[in-house]
This record gives sequence, structure tokens and C-alpha cells, in this order.
Amino acid sequence: MIYLDNSATTRPFDGVIDAMNACMRESYFNASAAYRPAMEVEKAISACRRRIAAELGTQESGVIFTSGGTESDNLALLGVAMTLRRPGNFVVSAIEHPAVAETVRRVERLGHEVRVLPIDERGIVDLSACETVIDEQTALVSCMQVSNETGAVQPVAQLGALARRKNPAALLHVDGVQGFMRVPVHMGRMGVDLYALSGHKIHGPKGVGALAVRGGVRLAPQMTGGGQEKNLRSGTYNSPAIIGLGEAVREMAQRRTDVEAMRALKTRLWERLSQTEGIRVNGPLPQEADSAPHVLSLSFDGVRGEVLRNALEGEGVLVSTGSACASHKQKVSTTLRAMGLSAAQADGTIRVSLGLFNTAEEMDEAAEKMEKLFALLRQYRRR
Amino acid sequence: MRDILLVRYGEVFLKGQNRPFFMKKLMDHIKQAVRDVGGRVWLSEGRIYVSDFTDLETCIRRVTKVFGVHSVSPAVEMEKDDFEAICTQAVEMMRPFSGSFKVLARRSDKRYPLDSPAIMREAGGYILSRLPQLTVDVNNPEHTLMIEIRDHAYLSVERFPAVEGMPMGTNGKACLLLSGGIDSPVAGFMIAKRGVELCCVHYHSFPYTSERAREKVLELARLLSEYCGKMRVFVVPFTEIQMQIHQKCPENYTTLIMRRYMMRIAQILAERDGAQALITGESIGQVASQTMEALGCTDDVVSMPVFRPCIGMDKSEIIERAVKIGTFETSSLPYEDCCTVFTPKHPATHPRKALIAKAEEALDSEALIQAAIEGTELVEVG
Repeated sequence: MIYLDNSATTRPFDGVIDAMNACMRESYFNASAAYRPAMEVEKAISACRRRIAAELGTQESGVIFTSGGTESDNLALLGVAMTLRRPGNFVVSAIEHPAVAETVRRVERLGHEVRVLPIDERGIVDLSACETVIDEQTALVSCMQVSNETGAVQPVAQLGALARRKNPAALLHVDGVQGFMRVPVHMGRMGVDLYALSGHKIHGPKGVGALAVRGGVRLAPQMTGGGQEKNLRSGTYNSPAIIGLGEAVREMAQRRTDVEAMRALKTRLWERLSQTEGIRVNGPLPQEADSAPHVLSLSFDGVRGEVLRNALEGEGVLVSTGSACASHKQKVSTTLRAMGLSAAQADGTIRVSLGLFNTAEEMDEAAEKMEKLFALLRQYRRR
Repeated sequence: MRDILLVRYGEVFLKGQNRPFFMKKLMDHIKQAVRDVGGRVWLSEGRIYVSDFTDLETCIRRVTKVFGVHSVSPAVEMEKDDFEAICTQAVEMMRPFSGSFKVLARRSDKRYPLDSPAIMREAGGYILSRLPQLTVDVNNPEHTLMIEIRDHAYLSVERFPAVEGMPMGTNGKACLLLSGGIDSPVAGFMIAKRGVELCCVHYHSFPYTSERAREKVLELARLLSEYCGKMRVFVVPFTEIQMQIHQKCPENYTTLIMRRYMMRIAQILAERDGAQALITGESIGQVASQTMEALGCTDDVVSMPVFRPCIGMDKSEIIERAVKIGTFETSSLPYEDCCTVFTPKHPATHPRKALIAKAEEALDSEALIQAAIEGTELVEVG
């Protein structure tokens, strides 16, 4: 099996599994309890917090553990919306994940206005258009760091600067689920106020993530109860998952060259496929600077992405159509349509996403199978 | 005193000399249905009882899905000699209810000191004097407490309607063409209800339909098996046939020719599995391949009878049935429509048989059918 759906989820590192196992077998204590073994768990959680803070260029005290990317986005957007005294506008990009796009609809019901930033044909937020969308009333701008559908790296720092120029109090939230530890970020230098991340996209466990919050940003908790995480996220610490996340961050940090090597793999795959007429990349090309190292969106002329995906599965290659989160709904991707693809082109799209376990041999084999199946399937076009 | 389940059966009682055969089948299926909740099933004076179960709700759910059962009532079985105790129990059973009620009594033990009207009167009065939220209405009561005096006394209030029909396996076997849509499970259910055992054929067009589509069909078969017991599902690889038709036949006839191949293959598999008829979910005029002429063309290629129980039903009626039998939700999962590449833009609604036969000459039918049957996968569900 060749697994090329790492943007859906990744296989955990062995070290992650071992650390979680040990935590469940031996260090099962409630991290908030008063005795020594519980304090050891708390220390391990703090170590994880420190690692994440260091990765993000922010303070350790600002890292709040959550159940994952979706909860982090909810806490950021609703948490800010519920502290605002006056109605303002929330500006989000046109390509946000449902965790943001659906959540701002709730923000709207709280009395705030929601505005959408258009994207260009490469799937990148159109900064020139932002001048008119963002204004003095803008309370928050939310944008993903890396598009889950195309791998396009978004100009989040410029967006934040622009927003603050219009309104010094405006906040910048970045959904970093697809970017964290694969595309560099520094919250301080880039002016990011809130940053959402998830464990299972970086070879960590599912069900854990974090929201990093810059000092001074006020949030209303979305989960009330025992007062954990400075009262911002109540609930007993999910210590095995948090420790697993910490281990994933540690290993990812040690393997930064491997992360960059994913780009070489992605480029290798595309260079081979680009020889075949009728295949195109959606979004930035693999060698371009604003292309994330791991996501590649490919359109196949005259073949439905779903059919190609099924056929690839039959050959042992696992990819997703358009975007995994939307693929079971069988909707044509709005991101791809917004980039100017026709309905047929958008429908003919698969997403290949790499992880640290992928190899050059796998790229060659996957490319060969894609070429073979594309040639076979395109014979049977609808007449 | 213990909890039991009273089971009433439907049409089987119309049977004459062969009634024991039907009763035995019915008893067997009820036993099978309650086996894993430890239920004991027994027959006494023409009534079926289930006792010694561990979970009454599961028992009710299962038994009401057994074809041939008319309705069930959870009941209390107790000694009949102490009438005062019976009345006390009756009050306990009526306590949760309010509104109008009546007591209905039946006495098959004619030596019992009270006759039926006396039982009704006495028990009714007893309940009324102790439960002020109730009133008596003998003509149109909201609740009816049934007291039956047999070898024991049996008290019941609630009644759950069941599926009715004839016991499974009393009317041969038929083969259902199961697509994954809304109609075919309903068609299968309606025929199975008449005591007909089922097997299913599903045509899988990998890679045009996904693994999930296949799983969905198997789940539909499993839902049907809750009524008709274990079933065999034949999953037939169909892509090659579709591709050949697509390449070699006139576009407006492709769907119809495809349907004809489905019928041919289904008949072969049905014969092998001992089925005597085919079942489809077709309904007149629903789509192009379901016009009268089109149905005539698909019937032409098989010699078995083809049952189409949904034939005169509207889509809304079919959906209503699907909801009732519990297959609608699964049928509505969106994994099916990847086949558009093979769907003609203008399918023939008034096909001409001569043209179809001519078009099919372009195909090596025997080899295609042979290959499809050889590649068929057998899955047991239920």
C-alpha cells in the first residue's frame, strides 16, 4: 500500500505510540491531582507545551490544549466574538476549512458581520482585493496557513499587517492545521494572534491539538467546567494524547531536513506526471516558494477524480478526491471553482498529500499507476 | 409471576390441513430471532409465547420483524387462583396510564369461578377505585387491559404491531437485483413478506463505483436479513460489460442493453442458488429503462418470472415503505452516482426490440457473461 493521503491524517511515529502506551499503562494519573505521580504527568504536559511554544515563537503560557484543529478554530473565533463589546466584522478567506467557514456562521448569529476574501487563480488570497474588504471595523481576520486542497501557502503575515493598519486592534487567526511543522511560522514576527494546530497531521495522535494565543488576547471559554487551561478549556487533561503530540513535535523538529525532502518527492512525482498531456497542477507548482512541501492537487482531463481515486485504491495507492473532508459529500470543491476551474476540471481532481514515511520509490510507482489508469479511463469519456 | 411475550400470528390461521407446516416454520423463525436473548418459545392452545428472555425490548423488536407475526404484547403470567392478586397486578400495570380504559377478559378455562363479564366488571371496578386518573370507556378506550384465564392468568396492556405476511421459507426462493437505491430493498421486502426466501445480486462497477458503494449494498442486504434471515449476496463485476456496451452499442440503447445483461446474469445465478424468480424494484415510468416498452425488452431475455412489487407505486409511496422497514437512510447515502460516464444523454424510452438485438450482436455475450460469473464474489449476510 502506498499511503498518499497525509493531509487527511498521518500514521503516528512509533515513538508517539510508545509514549502514549507508557502514559496509559504507567502514568495514568490525573495531571491536576496533588500527588507526586500526577505532578510527573503535569510536567510532561508542560514539556509538550514548551516545545509547541518554541516551534511557534510564542509564550508557553499561551498554548491551550484542545481536542484538535476544529475545536481550536471554534475557540479562537467564538472565543473572540463573545468578548467583543461592539459588533465588528470578521474577515475570512474564501478557502477556509469548514471548521472556520461553518463557525463564522455562528459568529454572524452573535451579531457580527462576516466578509469573505477572494482568492486568485493560484488559490492564494488576493491581497489587492483585501484593501476594500478589511476596514476600521474589522475585529478579526482568519486565514489558513496552507490550503488543505492545493497546498498553497497563504500570505498571512501581510494580511495581519494590513488589518492592523486599518484597525490597530484587529486580530489575526491562522488555521495552521496543514502548515504546522511543515511550513515555518513565527507568531511574534509574523503578527499572528491565534494559531490552531492538530496532532494527527504531524504523525501524532488524533483527538488532540492546541490553540496558541498571544499574550493580551482575550477569549471567552467554549467549554466550562473544572477550570483547566486557565479556565479557557475545562476538562481533564487528555494526557496520553498530549504526550503523544509532544513526542510528534519533538521528532518532527529533529527531522526538519526530511520535511524539506518531501518537497523533492512531490516535485519528483509532478515532473514525471507533467510528461503526460492532460494532467495539470492546481495552485502553485511544487518548485514554487508558496507551495507547501506535502500537498499536490492534480486535475486529470476527462476523468472523474472519484473514479480515478477508486481505481488507484484498486492498485494499492490511497489518495483523496479534491479534499478529503468534503469528498464523502460529493460536492464540487468551492476552492477549486473559485480558482477558475470548470465544474468538470474540479470534478477531475485528486489530492496527493505526503508524509515523512513516503519514499522516492513510492513516488515513481504512484506516478506510473496514475499514468496507466489515466490512459485507460480517459478512453471512456461520456459521449 | 413472570414477564412473557404473547405472540399473535396473522394469515397462517387461514391455512387448513397444511397449517402445521406453516406453524413449524413460524415457530422456528421466532426461536431463531430470540435465540441470543435466551428466549424460550412455546405453543399453547394456539397461542405462541416467548418466556425466559434477558431483554424484553430486544425480544419485541426481533419478534415484530418475523414474517407471519401479527402483533405482540408484553404480558405478565401469574397464578390464576388468587383473583385479588390479579386485580392488584392489573392496577400496577395501569398505573403509568391516564385517560379512558376498559378491561377485556377471555376465559378458556371454563371451570374458573368468575365468567368473562364478571372478570371485566370486578377488575375494572378495582382499577377505577384505585387510579383516579382513569375513566371507563367500553366503546372507544385509549387503553385496553387484557386478562386471559388459561392454565395461568395473563395480563397485558400494550400491543405492538408486527410485519404480518407468511413465514419465511414457505413459498420458495427468489433472487433480488439489489442496486443500492431506495426501491430494490422495498421490492425484496414485499416479496419476502409472502414467505419467499431471498438471495441478492449486486452489480459492482469498480472503479466507477467505490468500495463504500459496495459496503452500502451489503448493509442494505443485512438490514433485509433482519426480516428474512441469512442471505447470500452475489457481487458481480460489471465494469467490463458496461465498457463494451459503451464502446460498441448505440448510445441511446446502452442503459437498456445493460439492464438486459443484468437480467441474464441474475437468472443464471438465481438458478444456481435454487431460486425460481427474479425481483426488481422497477416502477412504471420512473426512469427511461422503466417504461412499459423498456420493461418488455428486459423481460425478453429471461424465462423466469420477474416480480416487480413496486410497479404501481409512486416514488413517495416507495420511500414511505423504505422508511418503515428501515432501509431508507442507508439507501440515501450518496455513494452511487459515479456511473454517469455510462449514462446516455437521451436514453430510448420507446425502444425497438429488433434494434436492441442487432446492437447486442456487436458484443461477445457468452464470453462477457461467463467472465462476469466467474468473477462473482459470494458474501453471506445476516
